Amino acid sequence: MASDNQDVWIIMPVFDEEKVVAGVVEHVLATFTHVVCVDDGSTDASAQEILGTGAHLVRHPINMGQGAALQTGLRYALDRPGAQFFVTFDADGQHRVEDVAAMLEVVRAGAADVVLGSRFLGQRSETMPWLKRAVLRTVVALSPTARRLKLTDAHNGLRVFNRAAAGGLRITQNGMAHASEIAAVLARSPWRVTECPVTVLYTDYSRSKGQSLINGINILFEVSLARRGKR
Amino acid sequence: MKIIIQGLLLAAVGGIMIMFVRGQHGVRMQASKRLAFFAFLVLNAYAVIRPDDTSTVAHWFGIGRGVDLLLYVLIVTFVFVVINFYLRLREGEQRVTELARAVALRDAELLNRDRGLL
Repeated sequence: MASDNQDVWIIMPVFDEEKVVAGVVEHVLATFTHVVCVDDGSTDASAQEILGTGAHLVRHPINMGQGAALQTGLRYALDRPGAQFFVTFDADGQHRVEDVAAMLEVVRAGAADVVLGSRFLGQRSETMPWLKRAVLRTVVALSPTARRLKLTDAHNGLRVFNRAAAGGLRITQNGMAHASEIAAVLARSPWRVTECPVTVLYTDYSRSKGQSLINGINILFEVSLARRGKR
Repeated sequence: MKIIIQGLLLAAVGGIMIMFVRGQHGVRMQASKRLAFFAFLVLNAYAVIRPDDTSTVAHWFGIGRGVDLLLYVLIVTFVFVVINFYLRLREGEQRVTELARAVALRDAELLNRDRGLL
């Protein structure tokens, strides 16, 4: 009954990924019918590449950041009739479609409202550079929200939301601090959050596109100066 | 004596940080910011006219010269202004985001309908 995945929307923020985006989209489309790519004001041919696939395209007129792109994609997908499950998926090809299927099972079964991918559950993180692993572990240890939710990985781009949780999410951190923001919102929310082990494929490409560790300082700054109010 | 002014200035910096990070930005806050700015201007004018008086005040706090006191106050004010601007910018960015998102979603409906996806 749950096999055709018509009620699933894959949300993919795209920024300057012309080399890989079409391949990643085609690969996802083989399993999931509905993919929406949010082109965050790319300066390369990413948008043309997406137009050549069967994915929905939303184009930000200006570059606003990955957090903003995720929120736009969520809004677009929430407006589609029949959409029940929402998956955020990075466009650089570092996530595996098999992991999405496993995470969806958990949400479909009603065991959780939100499932976050974790690189640290299970034994599958050998592909991660050791320095990055150490830093990500530290981020989790320092983050009170991650600890409250007992998260092992605060900055994984692979997440599955059911409709209630996706509709309640308001990402206001446009930049990379959105991952911490999502964790903070989930910690305050009534939704049940769990983690699933996922494998992240650290190819040379995703390595070159990935967040540099030094950007963690920017994230800490933005999060600490963010308004703690409800807005 | 010196420890007092150091404590006061550090407390001011800390207070400003806390105020901005968790404070409400209501009418009252806006008004008090403007009053503080006005008071700062008046004090500056006074310090220009009677520079020796600032030294007297500085001595109360155990600071050597009035100029040093002014420098300390200026630093605190500068931090205040920088944070204020940072938050203003963020607010502006938030509005631009909402606007751009509305435009993007409207265009996307048309585009994806033309592509036969909707």
